Amino acid sequence: MTPIKLIIIIALIVILRAFLVQPSLLFAKRLIALGLFLVLLLLVLFPEISTRIANLTGVGRGVDLVFYVSHLFLTFLIIALWRKTVSLEEKLTRVSRLISLANPVKETGDFSIAVTREGNDL
Amino acid sequence: MLSVWVVIAAYNEQHSIGRVLEGLQDFDRSMKIVVIDDGSNDETSATACRFNVTVLRHPINLGQGAALATGISYVLKQGAGIVITFDADGQMDPQSIPELIRPIREKGFEAALGSRFLGVKAEKMPLLKKVTLNLATIFTRVTTGLKITDTHNGFRAFVADAAARIRIKQNRMAHASEILSEIARNQIKYIEVPVKIIYNNYSKKKGQSIFNSINILFELFMGEKK
Repeated sequence: MTPIKLIIIIALIVILRAFLVQPSLLFAKRLIALGLFLVLLLLVLFPEISTRIANLTGVGRGVDLVFYVSHLFLTFLIIALWRKTVSLEEKLTRVSRLISLANPVKETGDFSIAVTREGNDL
Repeated sequence: MLSVWVVIAAYNEQHSIGRVLEGLQDFDRSMKIVVIDDGSNDETSATACRFNVTVLRHPINLGQGAALATGISYVLKQGAGIVITFDADGQMDPQSIPELIRPIREKGFEAALGSRFLGVKAEKMPLLKKVTLNLATIFTRVTTGLKITDTHNGFRAFVADAAARIRIKQNRMAHASEILSEIARNQIKYIEVPVKIIYNNYSKKKGQSIFNSINILFELFMGEKK
């Protein structure tokens, strides 16, 4: 086995483990992860497979095909993460707004409170 | 008479918020004011609390759009009749307020938008800023269909019902464009009113860098929320 194959296989195992250690992961997702891992393992061990698929799809080399597919996948991932961030920020805004509306630092006509820099920080 | 509430979003404005509040209260004591300290890490809240105003504070910094939305939802609950958005950096002149709200009080307009390009000239507006603003205005006209002369001017007034219909989802600076598209979407009857904006060294430093217009475009396109 060439060193690069070993490196990739170790990396795949590390990634798989990092994914599977999540305690509340659905069984179906665990199966998908495992399946994906096995497919990638096959591709690493027998790169001819990817070359054959590449030729079928009109791409010259197997590595090129793997590169294209992973590029698309990563782009998809970035968009998914972006959307997640947007929705998290929306929730964060809602929570912050509720907190600040529920605990005014001071309301008009109220001079009784001494205010610190922290105000109503959590 | 509709009660007037001034909504001021402030982030790290300890050096100017006092002067701004003083200016507003010296001008007209009957206006109620709410300051939303957008998670500042200076003495903005403490300084604002020295005045007879309401102070709300975001636990974390969210952006001007989010702060205005918080302030607007607060004043609507307080039964505000007219909501004015005002900047904390001292660029705006309280003397413009009566002119701004007159069309709402007397002519049945639902929103009045301050314009730096109608009548009174903005004082000492840097040339590059003028060019960028003009481009932004053209962009806004095309995207919203509103025939406005200025954009991203934070000096505005809304009748309560219109303020309630405007949903600000953009937390950061793109909210200014969003407010305009909300005006268009809700068919809010608006008018532009010339206001005086003074560009002092402080506000120039604190204000929007023209490079930020690229960020704003990015927020508008990428930040589309359901």
